[in-house]
Amino acid sequence: MATATAQFSRSRSTYAALRLSVLQFLADPQWLVPSMIAPVIFALVSFELFRGAGPYFLTYAILGAGMMSMWGQTLYGSGWATGQDREFGTLEPTIQSPTPYLYVVLGRVLWNVISGLIGGLIVYVVIVAVAGGPPAVPDPLAFALLFVFVMVTLASVGVVFAAFYVYTRYAGFIQNIGEFAFYIGTGCMFPVVLLPFYTNPISLVFPPTWGLDALRYLSIPGYHGFGWGFWGDLLGAIATTLAYLGLAGAVFHRVELHVLEEGNLSEY
Amino acid sequence: MTESTLALETRGITRVFESRKGFLFREVTRTEALAGIDLTVDRGAIFGLLGPNGAGKTTLVKILSTLLLPTKGTALILGHDVVKESEWLRPRIGLVLGGERGLYNRISGRENLRYFADLYGVPLSERERRITEVIDRVDMAWAADRRVEEYSRGMKQKLHIARGILHRPEVLFLDEPTIGLDPKSARETRKLVRSLVADGVTIFLTTHYMFEAEELCPEIAIISKGRVVARDTVGKLRELVGGDRTLEAEAYGFDDREVEALHHLPGVSKIVSEEFGPVSRLTLRVRTEETRPEHLRALLPNHPELSVRERRTSLEDVYLDLVEEEAH
Repeated sequence: MATATAQFSRSRSTYAALRLSVLQFLADPQWLVPSMIAPVIFALVSFELFRGAGPYFLTYAILGAGMMSMWGQTLYGSGWATGQDREFGTLEPTIQSPTPYLYVVLGRVLWNVISGLIGGLIVYVVIVAVAGGPPAVPDPLAFALLFVFVMVTLASVGVVFAAFYVYTRYAGFIQNIGEFAFYIGTGCMFPVVLLPFYTNPISLVFPPTWGLDALRYLSIPGYHGFGWGFWGDLLGAIATTLAYLGLAGAVFHRVELHVLEEGNLSEY
Repeated sequence: MTESTLALETRGITRVFESRKGFLFREVTRTEALAGIDLTVDRGAIFGLLGPNGAGKTTLVKILSTLLLPTKGTALILGHDVVKESEWLRPRIGLVLGGERGLYNRISGRENLRYFADLYGVPLSERERRITEVIDRVDMAWAADRRVEEYSRGMKQKLHIARGILHRPEVLFLDEPTIGLDPKSARETRKLVRSLVADGVTIFLTTHYMFEAEELCPEIAIISKGRVVARDTVGKLRELVGGDRTLEAEAYGFDDREVEALHHLPGVSKIVSEEFGPVSRLTLRVRTEETRPEHLRALLPNHPELSVRERRTSLEDVYLDLVEEEAH
């Protein structure tokens, strides 16, 4: 029976994890609520919240509701899936496989980005339908591309969060504490510059802060965020995203070693 | 480089677990799960590891399958270090931990296997054929496309085994593979284990079932409190605990003089006394053929209710004797 040893492939493992996420999503009707129904509710609330707030209120409403429906799914979805691996007892066989766990997480992140974008699209459609027309965006193509990139910035933080779920079974508890602060601190609902100035350095540590500010520069004429303009924000977003992905690579290796030392992979 | 003839070799494997409690004042408790395990297993063999709950069996299996780091000592699988060369080893070893957990319940058994085939790098061109092959091998073709959440415990166990052999490992670790299985499924699993060995796979098996170890494993180690208390063939282990034959005498109580008299019978190496309510049982390990049931009856004339049985010393007797000795 023993034959030439199989070799794992990073891209195949990542695709396998993405495929598994889709299968689990389709197999479980509870996901319809956060992914399909919640964006509709967020869109309606956001529309009412920003109505009358200047000429670009539609853009603010779309960004606010869009981020609200996407950020949780994209940012925490991957971490939560790792928490589920602990609960199901599948973390042990997955870690024991030749594939480094980082590639499994990347596959899940990809799915979360896709499902986050579907949520964003639902928000857009609902607000356009309620408002009777689309918002005036100077460059719709650039907006759409940047929107996808903001998802990637969220996902990069999500990968680092996933490492905590491998590290400890208490990651969910830590996440719940930080969830709201992160949501406000990265400017998901309103620009970070509206927050007290001493919170800004903390906000700037996170890639989505830069990405969202760049998105507002692009879509709202006359917007003045941190003051370093669209390109400054875009460069900041790219740099911090790369830093997070690099950090994730280093952290995952260390975390995998730590859990093998602790022997807590089957705890949940 | 000459290829090692050993599938597995451990030297002084020790594992200490630390558990912490308290928030401000952390209290750390250290538990030594393994206390210097030395073992060797030849390639292509089935090796059985027996031990009571908490003896360290699963801890050892996890260390050998690269899921846990030892605190001290070294372990080589196929001549490669489980700590330093885990990347090389992982595609070559299989692990079956079993139980209700460890599977994705909302998807089918076949999809579970497909996912792990990808993680293990089973060649894409062979993937579906291999999945069908292992499903057939564990006799699960009829349920392979049903969701795992609909499976019984035994079916999940079979799926665990299918996953463990999917990538054709050279060394397979089976941690209590028949626990929770009905007798028919357990027998089929043992048959499967034998067929894997026939295919050249080295099996490292832990079990609670003595007959299973006796049936499958030419060589056995008994582990208690993190130490190997004995390691040999079943026959030699019988000798180690005092003989191939066991005589059991049951009556309403024996006095010390009677027990002492039995000790002087030829070949009697050990007598264990147990109480079952009003009934006392003396279990004698006997090395020779000279002492027979009638000799016991002759020495115990004051017990009209006396019943004497003769049987072969079982692995369970060996196990209980050795584990009890270690406990005292």
